[in-house]
Amino acid sequence: MKSKLSLSIITPEKAVFADKEVSFVCLPAFEGELGVLPGHISTVVQLKEGLLHYKSGREHGEFSVMSGFAEINKNHVLVLAEAAELAKEIDEERARQAYRKAKDALNVKGDAIELDSALSALKRAAVRLKIAEYRRKKGVRS
Amino acid sequence: MASIRDIRKHIGSVKSIKQITYAMKMVAAARIKRAQFGILSARPFSDKMDALVGDLYSEMGEEDFKASPAYKLFEEKTMAGAVCLVLVTADKGLCGSFNTNLLKAALAWLKEYRGKKIYVIAVGRKGRDFLKRLKGLDLELHFEMVNIFPRADYAKAEILGGKVIELFLGGNIERVTLIYNEFKSMLTQRIVTGDLLPLQKRVLSSGIEVKRGDFNFEPSKAGLLEALLPRQLKAQLYRVLLESQAAELAARMNAMESASKNAAELIEGLTLKMNKTRQAMITTELNEIVGGAEALGG
Repeated sequence: MKSKLSLSIITPEKAVFADKEVSFVCLPAFEGELGVLPGHISTVVQLKEGLLHYKSGREHGEFSVMSGFAEINKNHVLVLAEAAELAKEIDEERARQAYRKAKDALNVKGDAIELDSALSALKRAAVRLKIAEYRRKKGVRS
Repeated sequence: MASIRDIRKHIGSVKSIKQITYAMKMVAAARIKRAQFGILSARPFSDKMDALVGDLYSEMGEEDFKASPAYKLFEEKTMAGAVCLVLVTADKGLCGSFNTNLLKAALAWLKEYRGKKIYVIAVGRKGRDFLKRLKGLDLELHFEMVNIFPRADYAKAEILGGKVIELFLGGNIERVTLIYNEFKSMLTQRIVTGDLLPLQKRVLSSGIEVKRGDFNFEPSKAGLLEALLPRQLKAQLYRVLLESQAAELAARMNAMESASKNAAELIEGLTLKMNKTRQAMITTELNEIVGGAEALGG
């Protein structure tokens, strides 16, 4: 029997993927990458920020995921992430600018809210840059 | 009696007020669509989060659970000396009774805990200003977050949640209560006063169906729960921010709609009055002319 995985990626702001059929998912788990194939044992893992990629037949895609959780239960993969975006949609130049801007904001003393949001922006930008780099290395073209 | 000039001036000013209120209504109406959409898209996340916490809880034995660091968020400290209030209001006025009702509810709550030390976390300018004006209470403004509406996003909720947890774990705090406006429909908002922490009752009562799935956990269950609970709290706060935001827009839309209507009525009344005055003036003038001609002609 050729079973498939169904992948859902949900963030607080929107459901990125709902029950998409895929054949393989690789999650950025807390203690290293975790590949999931159909028939995987039921698991709950904590994710860290990083790259999530999936394959579905000949089609494949990458997502950047900012820390969250994943639940694997009977061929259902549920990813609850604080933010997720398609790697294709990441603009490297913009990410680099955001990175620099966040760094600058951290250097200037502001109030607590500004500092906190700058810090999270910095983290996001760093992950985006990492993913853009990964894509370049693999020579993936959108 | 007012002269025609005065009445014209009055009509002019009412007209420009009407224009402003009408524009504000349109802006609120345009934004509310997005706000509602935001609530809808935040729902699956918080639902799944609750389900995940429920699963995890049912997988963990009571003993394990008590030993985990996450237990601190559940523990009821009845003898503690302080309480905390999270008050979510709007940043701006002109939205009917939205803020007034909230502040009334907050005042009632504060009266109840008069004797204790109260920490307050204020979201929204109106609530912060109100709390700053209060006197005669053992009140400390722990954290404030203003100017976030109408662009509340998850990052804000995250910061807020972090502060709440930090306060709860750091201080000797019995409970954290949340007061906000819930978006019920376009016409009604409901004020909700609910306990945010400790978690005990809510998580347990959320109806856990025991799924004997024999889950694998990475890292350990306790570690997962510890990481998961703050996130669940933040997801909940995010929902609250969105609800309050939508409720504010709905309240403003209604308030501005009735203001525009009132202005239209006022203009109608004033125009009538102006016409009558003008008519009276013309009649008097005619009378004078006729009287004068008669006096001359004999």
